[in-house]
Amino acid sequence: MSTIVIGLSLSFLLFLLAAGLTLIFGMLGVINFAHGALYMLGAYVCYQIVHWTGSFWIGLAFAPIVVAALGAAMEVTTLRPVYSRDHIYQLLLTFGFILVIEESVRLIWGLDYKQVPTPALFSQPIAMLGSQIPSYRLFIIGFGALVSALLFLLLDRSRLGMVIRAASSDSEMAQTLGINVSRVRTAVFALGSGLAALGGVVAAPLVPIELGMGFSVIIDCFVVVIIGGLGNIKGAILAALLLGMARAAGFTYAPEWVELITFVLLIVTLMTRPSGLFSRKGRSA
Amino acid sequence: MSMLRLDQIFMAAVVAAMMVVPMMSASEESLNLISLILVWGLFAVGFDLIFGMAGMLSFGHAAMFGAGGYALALLAPQVGYVPALLAAALAGVVLAFLLSVFALRVSGLFFSLLTLALAQLAYILASTKLRAFTGGLDGIPGVPRPAMFGVDFYNNRNFFYFLMAVFVIGVAIMAVLRVSPFGSALKAVQANDVRAEQIGYNVQRLRQCAFMISGAYAGVSGALLASLMFYVSPQMLHWSTSGDVLIMTLLGGKGTLLGPVLGVAVFEVLKEELSQFTQHWYGILGIVFILCTIFLPNGIAGLFAKLGRIGKGASK
Repeated sequence: MSTIVIGLSLSFLLFLLAAGLTLIFGMLGVINFAHGALYMLGAYVCYQIVHWTGSFWIGLAFAPIVVAALGAAMEVTTLRPVYSRDHIYQLLLTFGFILVIEESVRLIWGLDYKQVPTPALFSQPIAMLGSQIPSYRLFIIGFGALVSALLFLLLDRSRLGMVIRAASSDSEMAQTLGINVSRVRTAVFALGSGLAALGGVVAAPLVPIELGMGFSVIIDCFVVVIIGGLGNIKGAILAALLLGMARAAGFTYAPEWVELITFVLLIVTLMTRPSGLFSRKGRSA
Repeated sequence: MSMLRLDQIFMAAVVAAMMVVPMMSASEESLNLISLILVWGLFAVGFDLIFGMAGMLSFGHAAMFGAGGYALALLAPQVGYVPALLAAALAGVVLAFLLSVFALRVSGLFFSLLTLALAQLAYILASTKLRAFTGGLDGIPGVPRPAMFGVDFYNNRNFFYFLMAVFVIGVAIMAVLRVSPFGSALKAVQANDVRAEQIGYNVQRLRQCAFMISGAYAGVSGALLASLMFYVSPQMLHWSTSGDVLIMTLLGGKGTLLGPVLGVAVFEVLKEELSQFTQHWYGILGIVFILCTIFLPNGIAGLFAKLGRIGKGASK
């Protein structure tokens, strides 16, 4: 039972991150290497807010907004001038972001490990079907499901979502039809950054907050995004479930093989169905 | 039209000056710095064959780089240094071949991601499953340097000359390759692979050859780095190594022979100089990258090309 809960909470955490990454890819056509750094930044900002106010919930509400604003600023000042060029230059810029973000974090918060305490509301484990379940894990599952649902509503049902989908499948045509594509790009980059930070905030009480945390998570994120199909957000949630559950089961039964199997899965997917396991024919934005 | 352009002469002069200066005087630190530049420069020159010439963005070069390091570390005590260095090149070629068997089935962004995944698999294997050979995360200390002609290569100055010799040979071979029919064919593949196929080139074979040659360069430079540092560890196989060489190559100017070397030089010198002024040099390096990407898309080589044009204009 606890394996399932841990697997599910891991899945939703991965999905929060992968959703941002895949959204940015769908819109900008570039893999944002700095996604892990934004995740880390989210955790640090949350730590700072908790430090000031003592409330995790204020951190949860505001840290993603701070990081999203930063993401928007980064997009406008650096990415916007290079869209007309080859995608490689945008990739290189996201590399530059990693260096700058990591250094800023080191400058502000230093090298020590930081800790965000589990919010009091979810600090007690709950007995469930004969085993003790950490209730914060249950909160992650519920919160993750809520955010995913809101995201789907936003993308599938709202006007903004329609504009985003239009602009990512054909930005020139969207531009011709009167959509301000560069503003949509900024919005999507900000949304993606905010989702990365949200992932960081949610993960903050579970892991020690340190500089390397972004690095270790970004590869898992790539795996989810690729297995789900690049730019395919519905694929991403299935892939996140698959990977999260597989990892949780793996760590329980065969911890040595987890990393290896993850990569074999990734390689097989790339070779046989490069557009993702869950894609229909053609590319879905 | 002359074969040599002004900007290429400029670049060659800068690279040559970089190698000559330490011969005269120079401290131990700058000797070490230039040795590092030569090793990474060789890596970047090889990387650009696949990236700048064939137009394929590989994120898996760390695998060949590390394989070369391990090959040298494991074989040099048994078979001698130069055979081990050749074995390192061979290790790079074989690994590149294996990678290409998988990675060349897809193209574009998927090629990048697949090479990244395969190289990361090699990293995980080397740091866990192959611990008996690779020493796991601890790596292998005490990687030897050459013992030839009675020269003491454990002296950094003597080893620098050795590195320079390998570097010059490597760059010379690459210079020939780039102007050879093979080089032209690669450019054709980059410009329009469908047309190249129609003309009758075997595009996949060309790409595979370029990838393997590039792998040989990565293997040799990885071996030399291990030898320079006396140490090899899975860090060399980590994907950030592939990222570093990409940054260096782009910074210097992709698709040029010596541009990548200048990129390496700027990268290493910035790292060295900035770290003396401030401990936050990595962030400043990041800002420099961002500015270069926006304002210098063709890298430092592009800057030289501009200077060359201004020079020509003025002489008329």
